[in-house]
Amino acid sequence: MMQPGSDSPPASAARRIAHLDMDAFYASVELLRYPHLRGQPVVIGGRSTHAPVQDKDGNWHYTRMRDYVGRGVVTTSTYEARALGVFSAMGTMKAARLAPDAILLPADFDAYRHYSGLFKRAVAVIAPDIEDRGIDEIYLDLSSHTEDSVTLARMLKQAVTQATGLTCSVGIAPNKLLAKICSELDKPDGITVLTHADLPTRIWPMSVRKINGIGPKAAEKLAALGIETIAQLAAYDAQALLQHFGRSYGDWLHRAAHGIDDRPVVTYSEPKSISRETTFERDLHARQDRAALSDILIRLCERLGADLERKGYVSRTIGIKLRFSDFHIVTRDISLDAPVQTPAEILHAARECLKRVPLDQRMRLLGVRASALCHPDQLEQMPQRYVQGDLFDGE
Amino acid sequence: MPLLQAERDALLKPLATVTGIVERRHTLPILSNVLIRKEGETLTFTGTDLEIQIASQQSEGFSGEDFAITVSAKKLSDILRAIPDRAVVTFEDNEGRLTVKAGKSRFQLQTLPAGDFPTLAVDTNLRATLRMPQGQLKALLGRVQYAMAHQDIRYYLNGLFFVTEGSHLKLVSTDGHRLAFASAELEGNFDKNEVILPRKTILELYKLLAEVDDEVVIEIAGNQVKFAFGSIVIHSKVVDGKFPDYQRVIPQNNDKFLKIERQVLLSALQRAAILSNEKFRGVRLVLTDGVIKILCNNNEQEEAQEEVEVAYTGAPLDIGFNIQYLLDVLTNLQVETLDFVFGDVTSSVLVNIPDNENFKYIVMPMRI
Repeated sequence: MMQPGSDSPPASAARRIAHLDMDAFYASVELLRYPHLRGQPVVIGGRSTHAPVQDKDGNWHYTRMRDYVGRGVVTTSTYEARALGVFSAMGTMKAARLAPDAILLPADFDAYRHYSGLFKRAVAVIAPDIEDRGIDEIYLDLSSHTEDSVTLARMLKQAVTQATGLTCSVGIAPNKLLAKICSELDKPDGITVLTHADLPTRIWPMSVRKINGIGPKAAEKLAALGIETIAQLAAYDAQALLQHFGRSYGDWLHRAAHGIDDRPVVTYSEPKSISRETTFERDLHARQDRAALSDILIRLCERLGADLERKGYVSRTIGIKLRFSDFHIVTRDISLDAPVQTPAEILHAARECLKRVPLDQRMRLLGVRASALCHPDQLEQMPQRYVQGDLFDGE
Repeated sequence: MPLLQAERDALLKPLATVTGIVERRHTLPILSNVLIRKEGETLTFTGTDLEIQIASQQSEGFSGEDFAITVSAKKLSDILRAIPDRAVVTFEDNEGRLTVKAGKSRFQLQTLPAGDFPTLAVDTNLRATLRMPQGQLKALLGRVQYAMAHQDIRYYLNGLFFVTEGSHLKLVSTDGHRLAFASAELEGNFDKNEVILPRKTILELYKLLAEVDDEVVIEIAGNQVKFAFGSIVIHSKVVDGKFPDYQRVIPQNNDKFLKIERQVLLSALQRAAILSNEKFRGVRLVLTDGVIKILCNNNEQEEAQEEVEVAYTGAPLDIGFNIQYLLDVLTNLQVETLDFVFGDVTSSVLVNIPDNENFKYIVMPMRI
């Protein structure tokens, strides 16, 4: 569906970019499976033990949120559950207090990937220039299309619904930044079309947080400068922004507030890193739970090695990520002279990284990451200057 | 009632001996501690990182009750270093804390129970006992230790290959780019024993051995090696792995001989190295009749050139190396002259001490 290296039009040409975002994607996929739950608050984020059971009379029995005990986080929730204050990444126990009667379902990523493929293939028939932004959202470059934007958006939505039975929201704007904001404006099942002329009336009144790239910390810093809306940001002195936020981010803030974004729709990209991580059933300590941790690390390295092999990459930088019981996160990377791919090599490097972390606190998460990726056949094409010979070549 | 009373130096020296391997931050807090044990008149300091264990004994008539405690190695040695040379130091047990007194200074240190200190289980499966003068072992190690790999993914290279065979002790180290070999004749006849000693053990051993004729006793067991010399006993685990076949990489067909004064070449290389590429450290050696030209340049296109007159009559050769690999061998050998035996541009060079079969150094060239 994706064409490697297909060209995008020059930034100066008038562009038409769509952001297509599936509505409550995981939850909606689950509702396809359990349609009688439609209209009820449903939370995805349980383990397989929370899967609904059908009795011999054909009645489904669900786990209610109030019965949840554990340390998981909410993967996503239906709009009805969101109305009760349950959002993704919230601790499931906390969510259970807000919505004790909501239904809990386990996440089924294989199913989500399946539906992700379905909707992307359906979209590709209409608009082949797709930038994949994850399992449930894509950018589309519609600049070469002749139909008007609303018609195009309807075609896209219809194709998605026909292929999957799911709804999505589409934002169409002159660039990715605005398209992304747009797709949020009329969710769920919405269409929003925006031009630069609409900027003052439709975008500027919004909070700066609506801009993808302004997170809680930047928003806090902006608020301290008296900037809360995008209009205030747009009116703020560009030079002053540079001083407060540094050259790169300050410049970006100014441009974003004026709806300027020249990033092309990247239809093909190499992954920057591949990682595997796991949250433990209970917090583990490097000393008392050494054996268990070691097993977990070995398994992660095996899976990461398999990922690399399947995707055809070798890695020159292996890193680890630890989240401790107080939720603070530590990462360590090691750059290697020679690229690695096998689980044993990854494990060795990961252990080197672990040595550099003080492990006197309990941990709740361990992850292993391979970055500085390249294809093995690219290695031989690298510049051949300063090549140190090896004594044990071929061993 | 004090546990112990002694002059500062009588405590600092054995403490310093064992603290080199003690990691300051470790998952097991007790590993940052030193075990101090008094039995009869003998006082023993022990440090460990679970791979190596070093114990240093003093038997200078310590009186009083026997005791055993563990206390932060770093803090105790910082304290002892900071108080005057000849000060008399007193240790007192203060309800699970150690009070260190010297003159008008007084320090209270946390302790951890001596019973929790992890001492290496001694492997009793003894395979060979070697004896040699400390100074001889130190000199041997000096000829090879610099070529050990450091944090190599091929973990078995991060150490020293230690081999007894017949009447010989053979030591081999390599990082995959260069290899150092040294051997010595021992008294006695030994079965073939091959172990890989961790890099840290070798560096610590090299540091602690004295240039004296007093004996070091080496006991090779199944998965452990023990070195006993003077008042020091080192137990080291061995690295589990297969060391590469070093004999296979000793070049046999090299035919271009260069005899050179070590110090002359060393000085020339040190000067040239100033302008070698900082990352790759490349140096070009251009050999022609009677002259070796040494060329370095860096990223800024700055250049250094040295010329040394030598007795070279082989075919001309223009070959590159990592200059550090050449400097290492030249700095660590205390000999007048060295023989370099080159092959072609892509094959390894052999460095020998003239008329001495007990040392070999092999370096792979670098394409520059």
